[in-house]
Amino acid sequence: MSLKRIAAVTATAAALALSSLSGASAQETLKLGISAPMSGAAASWGLGFEWAAQQAADKINAEGGIKVGGKSYNLEILTYDNKYNATEGAKVAQTLLNRDNVNYIVGSLGTAPVRALQALSERKGVLLFTTAWGKSVKGPEFPLTFTQINTPFEVLPQLYGYIKQQHPDAKSVVLISPNDATGQDTEKPAVATWKSLGVEVLSSDWYERGTTEFQPIATKIASLNPDIVDFSAAPPTDAGAILKELSVLGWKGIKSVSAGTSSSALVKTAGDSAEGVYMGLAADYDGPSATPIQRELNEGARKALGEPLNVITIGTWDAIMALKAAAETADSLDPKVIAETLPKIVFESSYGPTAFGGADTYGNPQQMLLPTIVTQVQGGKVVEVKRVNPPELDKRLKN
Amino acid sequence: MTLYIQLLLNTLQIGSVYMLFALGLTLIFGVMKVVNFAHGTFFTAAALAIATVMPPAMYQLGLPVWAAYLIAFVAALAVVAAIGIVVYQFGFQKFLRDLIGSFILSIGLVLFLNGSYLAIFGGAPQKVPPLIDVNLSIFGAYITGQRLLLVLVAVGVTVGLYWLIQKTKLGLSLRAVAEDQEAAMLQGIQYRRVALYGFLIGTVLAAIAGAMMAPVHAITTVIGDEFLIKAFIIIIVGGLGSVGGAIIGAFLIAFIESVGGYYFDNSTATIAMFVLVMVVLLLRPQGIMGHAER
Repeated sequence: MSLKRIAAVTATAAALALSSLSGASAQETLKLGISAPMSGAAASWGLGFEWAAQQAADKINAEGGIKVGGKSYNLEILTYDNKYNATEGAKVAQTLLNRDNVNYIVGSLGTAPVRALQALSERKGVLLFTTAWGKSVKGPEFPLTFTQINTPFEVLPQLYGYIKQQHPDAKSVVLISPNDATGQDTEKPAVATWKSLGVEVLSSDWYERGTTEFQPIATKIASLNPDIVDFSAAPPTDAGAILKELSVLGWKGIKSVSAGTSSSALVKTAGDSAEGVYMGLAADYDGPSATPIQRELNEGARKALGEPLNVITIGTWDAIMALKAAAETADSLDPKVIAETLPKIVFESSYGPTAFGGADTYGNPQQMLLPTIVTQVQGGKVVEVKRVNPPELDKRLKN
Repeated sequence: MTLYIQLLLNTLQIGSVYMLFALGLTLIFGVMKVVNFAHGTFFTAAALAIATVMPPAMYQLGLPVWAAYLIAFVAALAVVAAIGIVVYQFGFQKFLRDLIGSFILSIGLVLFLNGSYLAIFGGAPQKVPPLIDVNLSIFGAYITGQRLLLVLVAVGVTVGLYWLIQKTKLGLSLRAVAEDQEAAMLQGIQYRRVALYGFLIGTVLAAIAGAMMAPVHAITTVIGDEFLIKAFIIIIVGGLGSVGGAIIGAFLIAFIESVGGYYFDNSTATIAMFVLVMVVLLLRPQGIMGHAER
């Protein structure tokens, strides 16, 4: 090879190396993980979760990415199916944290799989946003964990209080909960809240996720003839199946799904018997209280997924916005620094300006402060019947 | 009294589905001596086929519910039979009477087929309208017309299967192979052909169960897996490979689920089923109607 040729090859290689280096600095990517049920009865939550996260990532990428230390970082969403159980949750945790080396989980769904994920994320210094309802996933011992939706301590007093206010003659309730960590974490405060409202708990029963035949459960509920049936943390498909069986047995009463998120899954399975159901995690993002971005996202979700967004599914959008705001405020991508910054900032969520708080309840300010929205299925659609802003947020926004 | 009739009706409707599902599983084990963990995926395929074919037949072709369902039912059986033939020819045929090999193969099939269903149909539950949208009252107890139809079909299919096994030449071959494969071959029975027929009958039974459950249950890509665990409990209790055992086991498990679920709760009833399996395995390992290995 001649000297001239060697020089040409070396120059080309150097140019290529330089161009690839400059490209890396302009287009570095942050991987954001999601652990959610993408199949089974709770799949609609996981699908919406992923979709909302992708919308947030697309918007931030289009606006130039997250800007930290003079660099811009684009976002990439990695979603894995945790099948709403601890075993799959542990597998997803290993995949996200050890194989994909993700430093930020922007959405995790289901208390059991989230506990499996949290055991690893806290040890590896990974920031974790979660919808898990349990009080057990929060506290000073979990400094990197943040809740991205309202949980039983925020939802139940408002939901049950509204039901009791609308139906003052209601004296008795039967609870039916899925027999897993989510159900157990919901059932205790649910029973306590009903009792505090003077409603007698006739029975609080459990069923296994994956149950296919709900007639025995419905027969028992109908024979107790309660004024209210509370489906607690049951996903809409299971609650709908029980409601359908209850209607076959002729039971007519007040129906509440604390973790109820959408009318479509309920109406699909329960038909007309879904009418009048009160829900704690649904929202009417087309209604008068919705923000412009919520309306836009809701419209997009309806086209892409065939159903509107709800309080759970919009949670990944809010988590990504919180992550961006904290990283840019702290000018750091270190998950620990971001976790220290999150409780100090006010950021723009889909609901408007919000912050993290809840130290009085959980011992650590790691609860996203969002309005509690009580909805009801009316004419097959979700209608907002009550909205309460957290007093702590109002105080923060005034200061 | 009404309560007892309701519990009996609950047992009948739950037991009918379990019976249809478990019959196919036990038949395949009896003839091929393989434990088919992929049986639930055949059930799922049929339910998904109904959910795919029925809505366009109703809303785009304008067909009445029963006609749309009939077309979807035939399509579901055809799809599942086709999957069954492929799975047998390229898979199980090579692992006949090989418990470990067939176990690994069927687990792989579950992963492959469930992953494919999820990729094709998505994870969101689907629903199709019932064929008969009425509630019936029997001495004060209630059952939907759709569920009653399911019970009648299950009884009809079971009687038909019993007739096929007891009264036809194919049934005689199936029984002979299940009893002693080598002796059956010495009598001129073509084992591989009989095994294929047995496998196809088993998959079609799963397809009928899936197609019948589609109008009464939210259809997901894992719906069959949820029935599979119960079906395994049923055939272990009833006796692996025993058709009579599958029928008895199905209604025994349905009885525990119905009565236990009423007097205690669903989770306690589930625990009771597993306790029953342990008791049966300790006292009569071959199951209620099974034959002890000689």
